[in-house]
Amino acid sequence: MTALLQNVFAGLALGATYALVALGFVIIYKATGVLNFAQGGLLALGSYLGYTFTNSLAVAFGIAIVLACASAALVGAAFQRVVLTRMVGQPVFAVVMITIGLLFVLDPLVTAIWGFDNLQLANPWNIQRVVAGELVLGVRDLWSIGLTATVVAAFFVFFRYSRLGVAMRATAFDPEAALAQGISARRVFAVSWAISSALAALAGITLAAGPGGLSPAIGLIALTAFPAMILGGLDSPAGAVLGGLIVGLAEALTRGYQDQLFSWAGENVSVIVPYVIMVLILLVRPYGLLGTAEVRRI
Amino acid sequence: MKAAGTVSGGRPHRNLTRRYEQDLRLFGSPWSRAGLAGLLLTYLTLPTVLHDDFWLSVLIYAGITSIGAIGLNLLTGFCGQVSLGHAFFVGAGAYCASVVGGDLGLPLPLWLLAAAALGALVGGLIGPFALRLRGLYLAIVTLGLVFIGEHLWRNLDGVTGGNSGTSVTAAAVLGPLDFDALNLGGEQYSRNQGWFWLVWSLVLVTALLAKNLVRTRPGRAMQAVRDRDLAAEVIGVSAGRYKVGAFAVSSAIAAVGGGLFGTYQQFVSPDEWGLILSVQYIAVIIVGGLGTVFGSILGALFVGALPALIDRYSHAIPGVSAGVGGDGVITVFALNQMIFGLLIVGFLVFEPRGLAGIWLRIKAYFTGWPFSY
Amino acid sequence: MTRGHRLVAALATLAVAFVAGCGGASGGGGGGAGTPGAPGAAPGFDGSTIKLGVVSALSGPVAVIGKEITAGNKVWFDHLNAQGGVAGRYRVELVQEDHQYKTDLAVQRYNKIKGDVLAFTQLLGTPNTLAVLPLLKADGMVAAPASYDAFWVREPNLLPIGAPYQVQAINALDYYLTEDGGSPGSVVCSMIQDDVYGEAGQAGLDFAAQRRGVRIANTQRFKVNTTDYTGQIQALTRAGCEMVFLVAAPSDAGRIWGAAAQTQFPGRWIGQSPTWIDEFANSPLTPYLRDRVLIVGEGTEWGDTGVPGMRDMLERIQRYAPQHQPDYFFTAGYNQGRVMTALLEKAVERGDLSRAGVLAASRELGTVSFDGLSGDYRYGPAETREPPRTSTIFSVDPSKPFGLATRKYNFSSPDAQAYVFQKANL
Repeated sequence: MTALLQNVFAGLALGATYALVALGFVIIYKATGVLNFAQGGLLALGSYLGYTFTNSLAVAFGIAIVLACASAALVGAAFQRVVLTRMVGQPVFAVVMITIGLLFVLDPLVTAIWGFDNLQLANPWNIQRVVAGELVLGVRDLWSIGLTATVVAAFFVFFRYSRLGVAMRATAFDPEAALAQGISARRVFAVSWAISSALAALAGITLAAGPGGLSPAIGLIALTAFPAMILGGLDSPAGAVLGGLIVGLAEALTRGYQDQLFSWAGENVSVIVPYVIMVLILLVRPYGLLGTAEVRRI
Repeated sequence: MKAAGTVSGGRPHRNLTRRYEQDLRLFGSPWSRAGLAGLLLTYLTLPTVLHDDFWLSVLIYAGITSIGAIGLNLLTGFCGQVSLGHAFFVGAGAYCASVVGGDLGLPLPLWLLAAAALGALVGGLIGPFALRLRGLYLAIVTLGLVFIGEHLWRNLDGVTGGNSGTSVTAAAVLGPLDFDALNLGGEQYSRNQGWFWLVWSLVLVTALLAKNLVRTRPGRAMQAVRDRDLAAEVIGVSAGRYKVGAFAVSSAIAAVGGGLFGTYQQFVSPDEWGLILSVQYIAVIIVGGLGTVFGSILGALFVGALPALIDRYSHAIPGVSAGVGGDGVITVFALNQMIFGLLIVGFLVFEPRGLAGIWLRIKAYFTGWPFSY
Repeated sequence: MTRGHRLVAALATLAVAFVAGCGGASGGGGGGAGTPGAPGAAPGFDGSTIKLGVVSALSGPVAVIGKEITAGNKVWFDHLNAQGGVAGRYRVELVQEDHQYKTDLAVQRYNKIKGDVLAFTQLLGTPNTLAVLPLLKADGMVAAPASYDAFWVREPNLLPIGAPYQVQAINALDYYLTEDGGSPGSVVCSMIQDDVYGEAGQAGLDFAAQRRGVRIANTQRFKVNTTDYTGQIQALTRAGCEMVFLVAAPSDAGRIWGAAAQTQFPGRWIGQSPTWIDEFANSPLTPYLRDRVLIVGEGTEWGDTGVPGMRDMLERIQRYAPQHQPDYFFTAGYNQGRVMTALLEKAVERGDLSRAGVLAASRELGTVSFDGLSGDYRYGPAETREPPRTSTIFSVDPSKPFGLATRKYNFSSPDAQAYVFQKANL
């Protein structure tokens, strides 16, 4: 029983990280209709910026997180403003490809600045733990669950009550009508890229604050967040969180019980379980758990 | 329909497209026939002029990528179904060639056909998913195929050699022609020269097949499905049938490409058929131009040969170290990747329709000349 | 367009001329291959300078390894050139190419430089080596693979170094059973990366376990870059593992040991040499690692000037790459340089610095000593080659430069002696 709870907790912590990344995908998709392949590159950039703030500039960890998120947001917004504004009205595919191009640029940029070596990000969490009965709860895991919950709550408030949040929802719902109401679509696009990049940086730093440290491969987690994003529904922030948690739990549980329950399916089933679950759910609900079905007219 | 605006009574000053059949001709105008002849001449003579194994191998890999990209473009560019699972079919084709051509020792046409058949079969099985899923949902589900495929390749030791990979010993012999050691009229050619001819002739065959497919009824039906599948249904096109069919054809072509890849390289391992390869194929067709057969080939040349060109000239940039242990801010290798990414970004900002878009612009310029604005 | 193109070409030519000028500055003339008894010019050898290829991962995720090995190659040949070069006469120039750890690029890069180089002093990665191997055979060239696979020992066109991973695993189990409190009844487990590297370690462990009558109770395979290892650690705990043999890369090893430290996994860890990086010795993990982790590797601890090979290497790093940080892969690249030099000197001795000459020399190459950085390797015809079968056990010690202290130096177990090396059967 303890073992099961331990695995469930690990799954929730993992799922919280997936949720942050998936949320970043969803926000850009909702605002601009584009799947941002560079999310992993932004995640790596954000976490390395965090490293610079904590280790090289010796800023307190909490402030370093904020600074890293802010700088990543700036990079994302700048990219949107400088490059992607020129692509308004162009085929979605060309824009998707541009984000792939951005990924090709960010990867070598990060390694050129920070090198390839595994770096240890100075942080107060690392392998600190809280023992609750027989259950061992990692402090970092608790924080990543807590941070995700806070971010999701903040989003709810932001989209519900703030002027900008409402403007973003309006633009996502009907860009032309929003434009007619005097909402600046350009501003909304830039803000959504900024938010998404900040989320990626946050996810990256919470990951890098663990014992594995920071290596250029950290951005790969964005690809594992794909099924989380699709599972919940491409245009649903709540779905991204739900999808992240489902995928995280499924992965952690299959990993924990691979040798007892899944040995028949070959090694490392946990890697493909998210995809299998995703396919099964999409067969029943083709727009994900909480996604909006597309209205199709002739 | 083209150039119709320049008619001004009397004899038109150039050949006009007056009938639908004319518009459907593959190589209608004298110019395109001349272009074709030029390409054929280049194809025949290039390996005798360019002996260098490096450039030949770059072009061979680009040719193999072209074949796969034509397949993906049929599916994505012509039928509107985005697939991130292309790498899976390429891998399946490589292993099929390894078994049929290598272990069973069957000749070239048979292992190519076997790869195509396997690709069509698996693609046809995956196709039905496309009936329910749309757009990015389909893209990510097909991405799942890459991961599930990698799981299979790592665990089906008997066929794939597991993690260590397997050598592919399929022979590239077609009748009297052994492309591994080509001997024509007493002249001995290297393996790379032979393979250049083999691969690019197959590129030509695939391109012609694809070109033919898209100008016939199924091709038009596919494009109708791409443009709006509900509308296509209304005018009597069975969208489901064509989606599944497009998956089958595209996967078959991908598997042929994979078979060639494995046989040329003589060794394949499960590390190769990952998401990166799928993304690379997507990059090829977007950079080349969606919905054009010629664009797939241009895109493959761009994505395959551009890094080699950058690599050739980037040493000239100041502040770049020629390798590990040299002086400079950034190594030439990291720089190459960055330039490649920047070129893709800049290029698509400049021409979102890809290389084929540039080609069309040039063509439109000359077609409309002297009224070319 | 043409003008720009020409400009770029001109710049490139200038740059090439400049680099070449720097590379071949000393040595005074050369050029003519004519002196009687001296080897004649051949591809990769112009009579005075030998060019060697390096095909490695110099960008992308594996570059963390590729750059270190290449740095090791470079320091060795910088040192050699300062001594006058191969046989005191022929300077060596490295031609570096980046394959990004992709087989198709490896084939292309190999083709790109094979005409310019005499041999390859580094070819990184098992799949890449297997993809290039048929070409090496066809071209009659020799390459030093930068991976410790047992396959390479019996391949005439390859020039491997060091004890293969299998040997490390065998010796590790021997150490655990004889000196670290283990017994044939102990619950021995393994945790391996799900690829060729992991399987090499597992093969050695299985071999040794079978000979010693030990059962491998549980094997956890993991995919590189897994984010969270709690599940696997739970499974190892459930199986009651007393010793876990770990084959991983450092970023995964950090997360694995992190998860183990959090739950205070009680077993012994023996990690294969590439699992370790010096950052571990100065991290929150250190107390756990010091208690629980041993590393099996080759040679001696970093900074041990009592071993001549290490003393020389440190001195040369100081001179040619003073910024360099201690690293395990660096030593591998350095040793590759050493064996390639031995091979080339043999070829000079035979008076034939051509591809065929180098290949023939590799058959006549005798035992090469690595001065204690690795066990001596008896080369010669591939069928009779005898790689070192010695390993060293290290314990974690933050006071050492690389964070590792020698615990048992350069030993070889009877099981390791009994291991039979075979060709890759693909």
